[in-house]
Amino acid sequence: MTNILEIKNLCVEVGGHELLHDLELTIPEGEVHALVGPNGSGKTTLMMTISGYPEYTVTKGQILFNGQDVAELGITARARLGIGVSQQRPPTIAGVKLRQILDFAAANDPQRAREIDKLARALQMESFLDRDINAGLSGGEIKRSELFQLLITHPMFVMMDEPDSSVDLEAMSLIGKMTNELLAGNHATRPMERRAGLIITHTGNILDHVLTDKAHVMIEGCIGCSGNPHILLDQIRECGYEECIRCELRRHRKQ
Amino acid sequence: MKNMINISTGHVEPADEKIMSSVGVHIEDHDRSGTYILRDFHPQCVLSRTNGLELLPIAEALKRYDWLRERYYWKAVPADLDEYTGQCAAVEEPQGYFVRVKKEIKIPFPVQTCLYITQGDLTQTVHNIVILEEEAELHLITGCATRTDIHSATHLGVSEHYIGRNARLTSTMVHSWGPDVEVHPRSGTIVETGGTFVSNYVSLRPARSVQSRPSTWLNGDDASAKYLTIILGSHGSTIDTGGDVYLNGANSSAELAHRAVCTGGRIYQRGLLVGSAPGCRAHVDCAGMVLDSGEEGFIEAVPGLRSLHPEARMSHEASIGKIAPEQVAYLQSRGMEEREAISLIIRGFLDADIEGLSPELDARIAEIAELAGHGEE
Repeated sequence: MTNILEIKNLCVEVGGHELLHDLELTIPEGEVHALVGPNGSGKTTLMMTISGYPEYTVTKGQILFNGQDVAELGITARARLGIGVSQQRPPTIAGVKLRQILDFAAANDPQRAREIDKLARALQMESFLDRDINAGLSGGEIKRSELFQLLITHPMFVMMDEPDSSVDLEAMSLIGKMTNELLAGNHATRPMERRAGLIITHTGNILDHVLTDKAHVMIEGCIGCSGNPHILLDQIRECGYEECIRCELRRHRKQ
Repeated sequence: MKNMINISTGHVEPADEKIMSSVGVHIEDHDRSGTYILRDFHPQCVLSRTNGLELLPIAEALKRYDWLRERYYWKAVPADLDEYTGQCAAVEEPQGYFVRVKKEIKIPFPVQTCLYITQGDLTQTVHNIVILEEEAELHLITGCATRTDIHSATHLGVSEHYIGRNARLTSTMVHSWGPDVEVHPRSGTIVETGGTFVSNYVSLRPARSVQSRPSTWLNGDDASAKYLTIILGSHGSTIDTGGDVYLNGANSSAELAHRAVCTGGRIYQRGLLVGSAPGCRAHVDCAGMVLDSGEEGFIEAVPGLRSLHPEARMSHEASIGKIAPEQVAYLQSRGMEEREAISLIIRGFLDADIEGLSPELDARIAEIAELAGHGEE
């Protein structure tokens, strides 16, 4: 099986401070991985770096997407290669409507354009289409808006930053259902295999709804350990991230 | 009955037609109820296609109607207001247009007028009068431009608008000038009971100096005015625009919105609302976006309120900022090029949905976005 994402020895700085240290991560085609870790461990930094946000400076290492090193490419180029991202706190843009972004993504593709209204109903986002993007939205509404954009832009690789934070139970169920549709390749204009993805979660609630193949624990800018998502989460729930940090320290001493 | 004067639009040369189109004046567009074109000192086209709409050169109208001079001419803008109105008043045979919409007539398509300069160092003086009788409706598009090879000229324009009971005038003025042109428009509008005045002013390519302060008197009860001023500045220009609204009628209302994008040059956004009637409501909002101020550029916002009545409700807000990089990056993460993202953000900031102007405005915004973008690859 080929890898859609392969990160090798990645070091990343923001404002002159190194936040990711020799990070290694591999995600094969068609697999969805979960990324967990305490606050400030670098999960969002990793996602924004993979997306190509310019304030995240790669000082060392490679980000291979479908075998191509994308570390020097800008955000647009990476998005067009098929990297899609759902942010936790996306910016509000006065006067720019959700519908305009969706229309841009669906331009020159009538089938995609037809999906907009259908998905708006499915995601209960009809009344948000002509409002300023992200303005005054609740946590759950932001997640649905981000998911909506991913469903229309059809990325090959999906990254979601805490799709389960600030979301009530009912909304969680809808987000879980639609995330599964996104990953399964439903609503795609061409037949496709299951999409690969990386889902950041703090609570693990999303994993009750979305099948993930593997989980990684991120500690202080590195991947500490990887394994079965549910076993890892159970251990974290039982012992907390403190145990992960102690484990990581023990491993470093052995090295 | 149609106008006696009916000069065809066929006299307009293709090169001029393109420039006129850039300021919203479309020669071959049949979705216009009337066309008036003043080229330098001479009316090139006066064409009315609709009954109930009277469109004449002002000199002709003054000859035809004695009441025009008695009741309207220089009544909303005093002839002695300043040196520029004085210069206009001194002209023996004035140029400009006269538009009258008869009682209860709603003109189906916009009437377009173009004040066009094709000679260097020329001083064009115009005096326009627009009268909407009771319950009439009109959208007037005025495009002002210089031919592309003309850098230096002066445009002095007086415009008087009279809006009758429950009538509605939408006035969209688009400017695209040579870099050394001086422009001094003076405008006065009087609105009677239940009347509405909507003024859109768009400066696509600023002159070296534009200084205007249109005044509106909401004299009737429930009269209203809405101003939207869009300035796309550029290096070396000084644009000083405002809008004074006097709310004299009970429950009259006014809303002024200024939007400016600075890519160099000086931009002043002014607005003074004077509330002197019970239940009047007014709001002025100045917003500026500085993309590249250069060495001498700035935006200065001066929203003003003056309340003369305890029941007047008045408010203002002002903000000036830049395009947030995270907004650009967010749109790029959806696959947009940087310039596409900046264009969309500027378009959203201007929040302008002006009938018949979208392509011209979008083209100019795209140029500005190209300048503002830094290129990512």
